[in-house]
Amino acid sequence: MNHNPDSAGNPRFQRMKDLPSTHLLGTGTPMCSGCGGLAALHEIYDIIGDKSVFINAAGCMTLLSVYPFTPFRGSWLYTSMASAPAGAQGVRDALDILMQKRRMAASEDMEVVVLTGDGSAYGMGLSATSGAMERNLDFLYICYDNEGYGNTGQQTSGATPHGARTATNRGLSGFPGFKKDLFSIWAAHKPAYVATVIASEPLDLARKIDRALSLKGPRLIIALAPCPTGWEFEPQQSVDIGRMAVKTGAWPLKEYIDGEFVHTRIPRHRLPVEQYLQLQGRFKHLFEPRRNDVLINEIQDRIDRYWRNVSSG
Amino acid sequence: MYRIRFHGRGGQGMKTASRILGTAFFLEGFEVQDAPRYGAERRGAPIFAYVRADRHPIRERGVIQRPDLVIVADDSLVPVPGAGVISGLDDHGILLINSEESADTWRHRLSIGSPILTVPDHSGDPAGQRFLGASCAGAAARLVGVISREHLIQAIGDEISALGTAAATASLVQANSDRALDAYEAMAAHAGCVSEGSGISAADYRSPDWVDLPSDPATVAAPAIHAGATSVEVRTGLWRTLRPVIDYSRCNHCWWVCSTFCPDGAIDVAADGEPRIDYDHCKGCMVCVAQCPPHAIEAISEQQAQRQETQAADRENSV
Amino acid sequence: MSRSLLTGNGAAAWGARLALADYIPAFPITPQTEIIETLANWIDTEAMAARLVTLESEHSMITAAGAAAATGVRVFSATSSQGLLHGMEMIYTVAGWRAPFVLVNVSRGLASPITLEPDHNDVLAARDSGFLQIHCATCQEVLDSILMAYRLAENDRVRLPVMVNLDGFYLSFTREPVTLPDAKTAADFVGSYDPENIRFRASAPVSQAVAVLGGGPYSYFRYESHLAAESALEVYHQVADEFENLFGRRHEAIDSYRTDDAELVLVMLGSFATKAQQAVDQMRDAGQAVGLLRPRLMRPFPRQQFRQLLAGKKGVAVIDQNLSMGFGGILHGELASALYGQPEAPPILASFVAGLGGRDITGEEFFAMVEETRAAVASDQIPPPRLLYTQAELREVRKLQAVAQVERVELKQPQTVQGGQANES
Ligand SMILES: Cc1ncc(C[n+]2csc(CCOP(=O)(O)OP(=O)(O)O)c2C)c(N)n1
Ligand code: SF4
Ligand code: SF4
Ligand code: SF4
Repeated sequence: MNHNPDSAGNPRFQRMKDLPSTHLLGTGTPMCSGCGGLAALHEIYDIIGDKSVFINAAGCMTLLSVYPFTPFRGSWLYTSMASAPAGAQGVRDALDILMQKRRMAASEDMEVVVLTGDGSAYGMGLSATSGAMERNLDFLYICYDNEGYGNTGQQTSGATPHGARTATNRGLSGFPGFKKDLFSIWAAHKPAYVATVIASEPLDLARKIDRALSLKGPRLIIALAPCPTGWEFEPQQSVDIGRMAVKTGAWPLKEYIDGEFVHTRIPRHRLPVEQYLQLQGRFKHLFEPRRNDVLINEIQDRIDRYWRNVSSG
Repeated sequence: MYRIRFHGRGGQGMKTASRILGTAFFLEGFEVQDAPRYGAERRGAPIFAYVRADRHPIRERGVIQRPDLVIVADDSLVPVPGAGVISGLDDHGILLINSEESADTWRHRLSIGSPILTVPDHSGDPAGQRFLGASCAGAAARLVGVISREHLIQAIGDEISALGTAAATASLVQANSDRALDAYEAMAAHAGCVSEGSGISAADYRSPDWVDLPSDPATVAAPAIHAGATSVEVRTGLWRTLRPVIDYSRCNHCWWVCSTFCPDGAIDVAADGEPRIDYDHCKGCMVCVAQCPPHAIEAISEQQAQRQETQAADRENSV
Repeated sequence: MSRSLLTGNGAAAWGARLALADYIPAFPITPQTEIIETLANWIDTEAMAARLVTLESEHSMITAAGAAAATGVRVFSATSSQGLLHGMEMIYTVAGWRAPFVLVNVSRGLASPITLEPDHNDVLAARDSGFLQIHCATCQEVLDSILMAYRLAENDRVRLPVMVNLDGFYLSFTREPVTLPDAKTAADFVGSYDPENIRFRASAPVSQAVAVLGGGPYSYFRYESHLAAESALEVYHQVADEFENLFGRRHEAIDSYRTDDAELVLVMLGSFATKAQQAVDQMRDAGQAVGLLRPRLMRPFPRQQFRQLLAGKKGVAVIDQNLSMGFGGILHGELASALYGQPEAPPILASFVAGLGGRDITGEEFFAMVEETRAAVASDQIPPPRLLYTQAELREVRKLQAVAQVERVELKQPQTVQGGQANES
C-alpha cells in the first residue's frame, strides 16, 4: 500500500472517487447492525492494509476475532483492557530486534496498530498509552469512541458526554460529569500525530489515516463511533447522526501535527446541538416529558465556547 | 417438570417472554427457573431463553436439552442450523411456530416427529414486533394448560413495568396484555397439550463418549487463527429482518456511497461499476438505503422475500 | 418476608441493600454488571442511601473499597474474572489491612482464550489472599451469604474481607424464587459497623498499612491474618445459628446431602452442585448409596468437618470446575491434604475436572463419574485424574481447527474410553 503522495506529489485522497470501492476487512463479524465503530474500522483498514498487526484491548471489538473466525487479513493480538499499548511495545520492539539481527527481512515488517474503545483509551489504558508516547513508540492507536463501556451495556466511561443517560446514570439529568478531552491529553505528550475522525466523513478520515501512516512515532486517532445499541437509535441513522455530530460542532474534526493544531472542518453555520441530541434515546430525557432548557443550554454553551476559541485562536 | 424454550432474534423480546411465563407459573404456585441464553446479544441475531417449572424445587440447570415445548417467534429461524430451534425435540415435545404458513406446510418441510402448531404471525409488522414476547408467552401459557388468564395478565403487568420507563407503562402493559390474550385464545383448542417430560434414570443411561485428550503440539493447540478473513464463513445475513434491494435502473453509479458507508463492508463495486450487495452478510441495518443519493435502494421485508423464495422452492420440489 | 423471582445478580444487589452498605466502588464486567447497575438505579431513585462511584479500573476499585473500609464505612463491591485478576495486587494488599468489607465475585473463566462463561479459576486465584470465601449454589444463598458475610467480616475475632461467589450465567442471569428478608430483621441481623480503632479520625491519628523490615514482624502480621481466618470457622457456625434462628434457613460450612449412609460421595463447589443433588436422587432411586458434599466455605477451609463427614466412606469423587495447569483440580488437592493420614479416610479419592468455561456437566456424566469411582473402589486403584471431554466435543474442535488452518499434524486418533456403564443391578 502506498500512503504517501504519488510521484507527482498529489495526495492520494483528493476526491470521493479516490476512496476504495472494495473492502479488505472481512464480513461476518458479530458487531451490531449499524455499528459506527465497525464503519470507521473498515474504512481505516482499507487504508492501513493487511501488512499490519492489531493489538486489541477488551471491548466490543474483542469479539471481532472469535475462534476460528477473524475478519482481519493481517494479524491480531488480544491483550487486556489496560495494556494494549504495552502489547504494541512488545511487538514493535521484537520486530525491530528481528530486523536488526537480520533474522527477519524488512519486507516482513508491519504497521503496529492499537485498537481500543474509549473506556480503555480514556481510562484504564491511559497510563500505558502515556508510557508508549513517552518512549516515542512507533505505533498507530485507533480509539473507537462510543462514549461508554459498550460491550458491558453502555455504562458511563471517561468519554461519556455531559447529560447522557447511561446504564449507571439512569437519572433524569444523566451523567453529571464531562467528556474528557483526550485529544489534548494525548497532544500534550507531543506525539507525531493526533487526529479526530468519524466514519460519516470518509474523505477526511482517509486523508488523516494516510497522513498518519506517512509519519513515524506515536500516532493516535479518535474515531467518534455512533452506537445504535448504546446511544439508542435505529441502525439506519448511524451515518446521519455522525454527520450531525460534525455539523453541530459537537465532534470537531482536527489534527495535531508538528506542534500545530489544525481544524480540518470548521462548520460555518453550526446547527444547534439539540438537533444532534434529539436523534438519540440517551438524550431523550432532555426533551421528554418536559424540555430541560438548562441542560440543553449548558451543552450548547460548552460547544459555543469551544468554537469561539477556535476562531479567535 | 415443564421445560420450555423460546427462540427468536435479539430485540424480539424472548427474555421478556421467558420472564412473563416464569412469573405466571410462579403465581400459579410453581417453582420456577427462567433465563435468557446470554452472549453478546445483537439485534437480529438468533437467541433463546428458557423456563423450567415444577411442583418441587428445581435443581436442574443450564440449557434445556429435551424440551416439552419450543416456541419460535420468527419462522425464518426454524431452518437455520445454528439457531438450534429443533434441537432435542422428539415426538414428545411440541413445536409452536409464529408463522403465516400452515402447520401442514411446516410438517412437510421439517420431517420431525414432534407435533407442530402455528400461530398467526406478527413478526413482520413493526408494531407487532414489540409485543412478540408477550404473545409467545400467552400462547405458551395456554398450551401448558395450567396458567389462568388472570395470572398471565398479572405476570405481564409485573414484567412490563419492571422494564419500564414510567410514562408509557400503563398503555404498554395494556397493549402487551391484549396481544398475549389473543395468543392465549388462539391456542384454546390445544389447551393443555404440553406434558411434563421425565428425567433420566441412573439404572439405564447412555454412557458419555469420553475421550482421553491427546497432547497436541502448541502449533495446533494455541488459540490462533492462521488464515485471513475466515469470518466470511459466518452468515450474519441471518440477522436481517429488512432486505435492501438495489434498483439498478436508478443507481447512477455515484462515488459508491453505499459501499463506503455500509458498516459491514457488505457492498462491493464490481468491475462493471455496479454495486453488489452480499446478502450472506448484509445485516440489514438500512444505512445504504438511507444514504444512497438517488434513493435507488429499497427496503423490503426479509420474511416476505424469503417466504416467496421458499414457496417457489416448495413448488419446484413438488413438481 | 416475601418470595419473588430474582436473578443471582438481583439477589446480590438485594444483599448489599439489606446489609445497608454505605459505599459501593464499582467497575463493569460481564456477568456481574447488573449488580452495580441495579444498585446505581436504587441510589438514583433514593431507594437506597449509599454512594456508588465507578472507578477507572478494578485495581482502583478494590483500593477504594479497602480504603473506605479502613476509614470506617460499610463497603460493598462486585467483580468477576479479568476484573478480579486486574485488582489482584490490591486483593492481597487490602486483606492485610484488617479492614472488613464484602466483595461479590461472579465466576467466569479466565483468559486465554477469553470467554464470558463460568468456571472457578477466577475466585480460586484469590484463595491465598486473606479474603475469606463463601461459594453459593442458589440465588437465595447469594442473598443470605452476603448478610452472613458482613457478620463474619466485621467480627472482632476475624476482621478480614469476605468474597461471596456465584456462578456466571447459571446464577447471575437465572431467576429463581428468593425469599427477601424484611429490611428491619436484616438490619438487626447485620447490626451497625463498628470499625473500632481501625479507622481515620482527626482526633485519633493512625498510620495504617505500614511497611515492615525483616521477617520477624512480617511473619507476625501474616500469621495473625491466618489465625484470624482460622478462627472465622467457629464464628461462621455462630453466625449460621443466629441466621437460622432469625430467618429459618440453615447454611452450613459444608452442605451435606444424603451422605449419612452413603458409600460413595461426590464433592463439588457452586451451582452445578444442585445438578449433582438431582443425580444423587436418581442414583438413590437406582439403589446406589451415593451422597454429595458441597463446601460453602473455601476459606477458611473446613478441614475438620470434611474429615468427619467423609470418615468411613469407600470412595470420593471430587469434581473441580477449575484447573491448575500442571497439577489438576484445586479442590481435589485441598481435600487430599485435609484427609491425609486420617485413620478413617476414604481409600479412594478420584479427581474429575469438568465444567470449564460454562461447559455443561450432564446427568449421565455424574452417573459415569460415580461409576468410575465405584470401579476404583472395587479394584483398590486410584484412577488417573479425568478431564471430562467427549468424542463429539473433540470432533467439533477439530472442525474449528480446520477453519483456523492450524498446521496439519498427524493428529492422534483419540481413544474412546468407557466412561462408566449402565448399572445392571
Ligand atoms: C480488567 C477488566 N475489567 C473489566 C473488563 C470487562 N470489560 C470488557 S469490555 C469492557 C468495556 C470496554 O469499554 P470500551 O473500552 O469503551 O470499549 P467498548 O466496549 O465500548 O467497545 C469492560 C468493562 C475486562 N475485560 N477487563
Ligand atoms: S455496542 Fe455499539 S460499539 Fe459495540 S458493537 Fe454494538 S453498536 Fe458497535
Ligand atoms: S443494509 Fe446496506 S448498509 Fe446495512 S449491512 Fe446491508 S448492505 Fe450494508
Ligand atoms: S449509493 Fe446508490 S447510486 Fe450510489 S452506487 Fe450505491 S446504489 Fe448506486
